[in-house]
Amino acid sequence: MRTVTRSFLRYLYRRRSLSLLQLLGIACGVAAVIGMALSAKSALSSFSQAVEFLRGKSSHTLERLAGPLDEAILREIVSDPAVTSFAPVVERRLKLANGDLVRILGIDPFLDRAIRPEISRAPFEQRSGGSFEDSLAFLLDEKAILLEENLARELGLAKGGALNTLKGRLKVIGTFPNPSGEPLILMDIAHAQKLLELPGKIDHVDLILSDEGGFVSRWQEGYRIQSKRQRQETFGAMVGAFRLNLEALSLMALFVSVFLIYNTAMFAVVSRRRDAGVLRSLGASRGEVARAFLSEIALFGIFGGLLGSVFGFLLSRALTDIIGGTISSLYFFLRPTPMPWSWWIPAAGVIVGLGASFLGSLLPLLELSHADPVLTLRGRSGSRGNRRRAWFVALAGVFFLVASIIVLAFFSKQIYVAFIGVFGFLFGLSLLTGIIMVLAEPLLRRLLGGMGKLPGRIAAGNIIQNLGRTGVAVAAFMVALSMSIGLGSMIGSFRESLIWWMGTQLRGDMYISNASDMEVPKDFYAEIRSIPGIGGVDTYRKVPVLYRGRTVHVAAIKADVLQRFARFGWVAGGDEHWEAVKKGDVIVSESFARSFGTGPGSEVTLDGVAGPVRLRIEGVFYDYSTEHGLIMMDRETYIGLYGDRTINSIAVFIDPGEPRRKQILDDVRSRALSRGLPAFTREQFHSNILEVFDSTFAVTRSMRVIAIVIAFFGITGALLTLFIERQRDFGILRALGFSTGQVAGMTLLEAIGMGFVSFVFSSGVGTLLAILLIRVINLRSFNWTIFYYPDWQPYALTALTALAASIGAALYPIWKVHRTYPQMQIREE
Amino acid sequence: MSPLSPTSPIVRIVDLWKEYHENGQVVTQALRGANLEAAPGEVLALFGKSGSGKTTLLNMLAGLDRPTRGLIEIDGKDLEALGEAGRTELRRHRLGFVFQFFNLLPTLTAFENVYLALELAGKLHPEAARAALDKVGLKGKENRYPHELSGGEQQRIAIARAIVKEPALILADEPTGNLDTVTGNQILELLTERCREAAMSLIMVTHTPLACKYADRILTMVDGVITEDEKCN
Amino acid sequence: MPRQAGNAKIMSRIKTAGIVAFIIALVMFVSLPALAADEWRQAIGQRTWSFPRDHGAHPEFRTEWWYFTGNLRDEAGHRYGYQLTFFRQGVRIKPSNPGNPWSLRDLYPAHFTVTDVRNGTFHVAEQITRSGPGLSGAATDALNVWNLGWSARMKGDHISIRAQHGEMELALVLKPRKPLILQGERGLSRKGPGKGQASYYYSFTDLASSGTIRTPARGTPVEVQGISWFDQEFSSNALTKDQAGWDWFSIHLSDGRDLMLYFLRKNDGTVETESSGTLVEPDGRARHLELGEIRMEVLGTWKSPRSGGAYPNRWRIRIPAAGVDLQLAPLLAAQELITAGSTGVTYWEGAVEGRGSSSGKPVICEGYVEMTGYAGSLGGLF
Repeated sequence: MRTVTRSFLRYLYRRRSLSLLQLLGIACGVAAVIGMALSAKSALSSFSQAVEFLRGKSSHTLERLAGPLDEAILREIVSDPAVTSFAPVVERRLKLANGDLVRILGIDPFLDRAIRPEISRAPFEQRSGGSFEDSLAFLLDEKAILLEENLARELGLAKGGALNTLKGRLKVIGTFPNPSGEPLILMDIAHAQKLLELPGKIDHVDLILSDEGGFVSRWQEGYRIQSKRQRQETFGAMVGAFRLNLEALSLMALFVSVFLIYNTAMFAVVSRRRDAGVLRSLGASRGEVARAFLSEIALFGIFGGLLGSVFGFLLSRALTDIIGGTISSLYFFLRPTPMPWSWWIPAAGVIVGLGASFLGSLLPLLELSHADPVLTLRGRSGSRGNRRRAWFVALAGVFFLVASIIVLAFFSKQIYVAFIGVFGFLFGLSLLTGIIMVLAEPLLRRLLGGMGKLPGRIAAGNIIQNLGRTGVAVAAFMVALSMSIGLGSMIGSFRESLIWWMGTQLRGDMYISNASDMEVPKDFYAEIRSIPGIGGVDTYRKVPVLYRGRTVHVAAIKADVLQRFARFGWVAGGDEHWEAVKKGDVIVSESFARSFGTGPGSEVTLDGVAGPVRLRIEGVFYDYSTEHGLIMMDRETYIGLYGDRTINSIAVFIDPGEPRRKQILDDVRSRALSRGLPAFTREQFHSNILEVFDSTFAVTRSMRVIAIVIAFFGITGALLTLFIERQRDFGILRALGFSTGQVAGMTLLEAIGMGFVSFVFSSGVGTLLAILLIRVINLRSFNWTIFYYPDWQPYALTALTALAASIGAALYPIWKVHRTYPQMQIREE
Repeated sequence: MSPLSPTSPIVRIVDLWKEYHENGQVVTQALRGANLEAAPGEVLALFGKSGSGKTTLLNMLAGLDRPTRGLIEIDGKDLEALGEAGRTELRRHRLGFVFQFFNLLPTLTAFENVYLALELAGKLHPEAARAALDKVGLKGKENRYPHELSGGEQQRIAIARAIVKEPALILADEPTGNLDTVTGNQILELLTERCREAAMSLIMVTHTPLACKYADRILTMVDGVITEDEKCN
Repeated sequence: MPRQAGNAKIMSRIKTAGIVAFIIALVMFVSLPALAADEWRQAIGQRTWSFPRDHGAHPEFRTEWWYFTGNLRDEAGHRYGYQLTFFRQGVRIKPSNPGNPWSLRDLYPAHFTVTDVRNGTFHVAEQITRSGPGLSGAATDALNVWNLGWSARMKGDHISIRAQHGEMELALVLKPRKPLILQGERGLSRKGPGKGQASYYYSFTDLASSGTIRTPARGTPVEVQGISWFDQEFSSNALTKDQAGWDWFSIHLSDGRDLMLYFLRKNDGTVETESSGTLVEPDGRARHLELGEIRMEVLGTWKSPRSGGAYPNRWRIRIPAAGVDLQLAPLLAAQELITAGSTGVTYWEGAVEGRGSSSGKPVICEGYVEMTGYAGSLGGLF
């Protein structure tokens, strides 16, 4: 190795505690990216695997536009020349006694053989030996089910056990593995039809077609045929926003870690500046100095990347569960298996580590190789011209801000571009840190002086004196805290908006059944409606349909009931819209209106059982129930369109002022439960929705923690560098008669001062970030408006974090001061 | 001005100006038409008050700083015409530096600090580095780090680092500024002796009258202009 | 004629095998414990036959099949063989939920093979279904049996059969040239000495066949002509455990005679004395052959590289009383069915040809032979 390079690399060992911190900082950044990427990948792949597993080898799926199919069509499918294989499926979700909703598949294992070989074999693999009757228990015993083995293990059930569900007790005759990890209940089609009260009905037919065109031409009218490719596209669209969310979070983690690396590299530059000057005076070229520095950065990148990939791998195990939980509450119950270790992980870690290191070191490197050797050789490295420099950097920051605002204003249709805009905005603001610190100096002096008298004032002075270093540390910390505030406020506002929305739409006194693949029997509806004292009963039916190639939802409601009881949040207009809805017009959700660029007065064309039907859009309402778009229509309109009379859930409205309110609700509840239908009061229903919401943002919250951890290492490293660089100052202080305690106090105050500035700055930046996330990112990715609700909590939380991180970060330097203070002298190296 | 030597001078400075600008205004003039020539093997002591432009001159000679106008020739080559790469080459092979604060690399041992200069000059001869350390009296301390050595010893390393590649010119900026008188004397003696031995020119910027004893010529810089004195005042 | 076997041991072995193999094993393991056997009608005593009613299903019996085999030629003289079999295996005499067509009463397995002699290839397809909403079944009033897209239907004086699987395709019209014959004693075919150890069994031995066949090797359907054989048989508890397997022959002689023989092999190597045969004269008269009237010698064997089973593949058959002396060999050695890649249910069923003499005159002959219980794993299981 060249001596030039060696002279730089020896710093890593000499300042090993700092090196360790830097390494940990990079490792955390890499870990966040790797952990997020791995868990997103495993969650999404097990999601698609689950979908693929469920659909097996089928090339196409035949469904009715809405509602189940009549099984009589199977005879026509048998004789259709394009059909190579087919399998009818009853596919619903079944509520277990413990409250979990688990997918239940009703299949014919014989017909399923060509479509889902693993599943279809399972019913006959349970027995070795035994009687003929036993071997066919799956086909003969009406309560017989097979349980996915993980679910069985979780419930402590084995062969012979009983599974308690809202539809009664089922007999577990065996278990089977599901490679996708999705919990499943497998039942014979005959028994599933009986259990789920679907005589003569099936939910879809999975097909292997030899002639797609021919088949489609014969089955076009009144049916929906989805090819495997379309299915994957639908699936992709379904989880698109979710995937984006995960990607955005890992990008944020990466952004924070690049920033941290920038921070770290900036420190390295500061401490290498004089050496660089010496080397240049000895005749080393700029390139040689740059190479020496790069090799240092590369080492950090490689080892930080390696370490980070291990951390990330471990992190992914935790995150995968969280993401699995989110997918479970949003889409369907999933237990993703974390990605297994592979040598690609450290390879990716090193690539990310190196990439981030070089990106973060670009500016410091330029600075170092262009450092004026004359200046750097003048004794102590410079904090000269801090203020001028701060103004200059601030100017660059303003440039970034303007550029980002232009990007956000004109190019934010592209969600990734919008993200770049947001990051650029954040980066631009972070460049203002220095100037803000300069401006905040008097305040800082007063604050720290108030807290720590003379050491406090010195601490304040030190922060500003060493702006080159403290500025970067504060900027990094500020960015991390802003992320925390921004995400926190965004989630908080979203939650408030959701609560507001529930208050507008979900005003029923009791909700019966709430799963879209559950069914409320029609006679039960009639029964409830006849209970005296009930002001209205709304029926709800929601089905996915294809609209202009994309999956949207159609919901059928009772317009007259909602007109009386609900208070929809209209984007435009008011409750007079219901009059038109009663006459056959539709209302659409904001997400629908935005994603299809349509609005009141326009028309939507939907394929009904009798061909395409044009429906006029009467109004647009705020809605957070689906980001894919919702078309709401009166039940009569819906039945006319699809001929589907299914009811998924009903909402019971009691007349205001009805004195027997409680008794009536108790009566409704007991009637529902006697039919195996879950019943919820409005409060329960709302809190269920909030629960789903909270689990949706579990990942986001965990990412906030990671950002803070990264920032913690950043600020610790920054302080440590400061103190190492200033050991001579400590010597002077000692000479002046400062005690160890005072120096420690000063160190602590310095840390707190930096934490304080970071927090104050981040409160502003975080608020701006929250508004950007709400107004740009959410609007772009979900097409819905979230209302910004100011909330003190994220700020308080962030303040606490800042305080804890600053104190925590000061601990090591203080310990070091305590250990080495007596030996410190006024001495140049 | 010195009489014309039969050999061409190692250093030639003609009407050298250095101005510092701020907002388009000249705020400082560090050099205001300095002239200087130095012959091979000549030892020059440059006196002057703080801020008189001495260090600026040295930096210009090293090609680390660039003049506002005027000519600098080292070894007969115009520094300006050499360009950045040429100046780097020149520093590698023809120039040695000795600083007030030694400016050793703290992470390298005494030997490595010296060898570094050789390595940069493309001369991969470790034995030359050892010999140089021997010559400055640091035999046996090759593997010490700078912070393990005294100030005088650190300056000896710096001298060894400067002389090891046998440059044409050594530039010394207050080489004894950080040392006590006895050590300072030893260092000056060592430095001038080594220069004369190897016919290296030495230009040292200094405050100490000790330097008079070792210098062939005494120069004084006043307000950015160099004047030659017969003896120390 | 009955076709395979299985037992508990097999079942454990086929855990990894396909479901069809498993179910076939169940279905064909006719010596299963006679669970609720008394619910099913036994083949005991003389039956009053009534056609076309008796071409239809007999759901009161547990096991039933409609069996078509045939030897075909295209215009270029290339030879083909086919087998198309529809089984019905009763599971419960009363389904638990009669209102739901999926509620299980019978299982419907089916086998379809095509032998392409010119290309030397043999293709097997199999499926198993339940009735469901009309997906498979058999009418009870006439010959109308179907399994998904495969079917055999009698219309007037002819039978249409069709099956398709991938590039295997068969569509034939079969016209009886001789009246149907009742096998055994007026249709009661004994399979052992015990009571109920018998089946009801009749055949169309000489069906003029024409239609199209497609084999994967040929790719396109080709017009063919030839001769087919049809058996229908139903029983509830025909075979016993000490029977190791059987050899069954259906041979058309060029002088117009048709010959059916079956030999039930016992575990001890002897042949069940109830084994017998039928010789049908060109005019349709049938003559029952006792075991004692038949001489059969195995002249050579073929070892299946896939199952390891060693099957006879050349025979000499003599019926001295009828002046019949034939030597038979397969058109293709490898006509073995290993269902779903398992050795659980493995049998050989294929087209054969031969020559010899009948009534002292030289004849040539062709037909089908079925052999079960030869693959090693089945040894001693029947």
